[in-house]
Amino acid sequence: MTTKKLTELSMLTAASLIVFIVELRFPDILPIPGIKLGLANIFTVYAVYRFRAKEVSLMVLTRVILGAIFCSNLSALIYSLSGAMLCLAGMIPLHRLIPEKYLWLCSIIGAMLHNTGQILAATAIMGSLAVLPFYPILLTAGCIAGAFTGICAQLILRRKLKTDKE
Amino acid sequence: MTKGVKICLAVVSAVFAVSLVLSIRFLTATERDPSKEDVWVEIEQDKKVLYRLNLADEPDRTFRITGSDGGWNEITISRGRICVSDADCPDHTCVKNGWLRYDYLPIICLPHKLVVRFCEGGGSE
Repeated sequence: MTTKKLTELSMLTAASLIVFIVELRFPDILPIPGIKLGLANIFTVYAVYRFRAKEVSLMVLTRVILGAIFCSNLSALIYSLSGAMLCLAGMIPLHRLIPEKYLWLCSIIGAMLHNTGQILAATAIMGSLAVLPFYPILLTAGCIAGAFTGICAQLILRRKLKTDKE
Repeated sequence: MTKGVKICLAVVSAVFAVSLVLSIRFLTATERDPSKEDVWVEIEQDKKVLYRLNLADEPDRTFRITGSDGGWNEITISRGRICVSDADCPDHTCVKNGWLRYDYLPIICLPHKLVVRFCEGGGSE
């Protein structure tokens, strides 16, 4: 890994961590567990299209673990971790299939997979299907949030590619 | 637009449509009047049913449920409604949830594995 890349990845991790912590201060949109905009994922989607699988995974893993430590909510770590891993497992192969022009689509699929991971983890921990009715609600919200973060990431990526050319 | 993008778009649209319909269905609250009918709820922790209560008969009260790990949730029953009024879990989602309203959406406290939901009537007290 070159120094330039390392710096860029660290910057992205730090920025996404800040956004993640700031977003926690927002009031809940709906009183339903797990629904949020996921602004930190702007950086994840952006990184998926710019870096290699290993590098993106490292960045996301660092953000998720540090985020849980900083907001002293370690019990939520398992949900964010399983969500993030499933999201990456889907988005990394998909970004080869989906060109940059449709990055928002990849982001939506990532958000849906994130929700799937969270629900799977919650079902496993609770040992009951009580959380399952929340799944369609999370998916609906995830689609909207994923489209939003995807469009943001697309704008950043387009600008970055332009400055790279100059 | 390549074939791959088209397939992804179709899948995403289908999943979105289905989940939107289901969400609307699940978020439609059923009006229940405890003064006219029996309203049964059950409180479950760690897959075991701790209480089965008929809200129509329950007096207004607040009680605490302590889990095996020492964490607690405070349940409040008032005028035939039930909610988690306080808890020592880190996220407090169960408290923010407010009164139990929806048939399909129970109040859940993930850290304490607690579920409060409507159930069919009858059974032991």
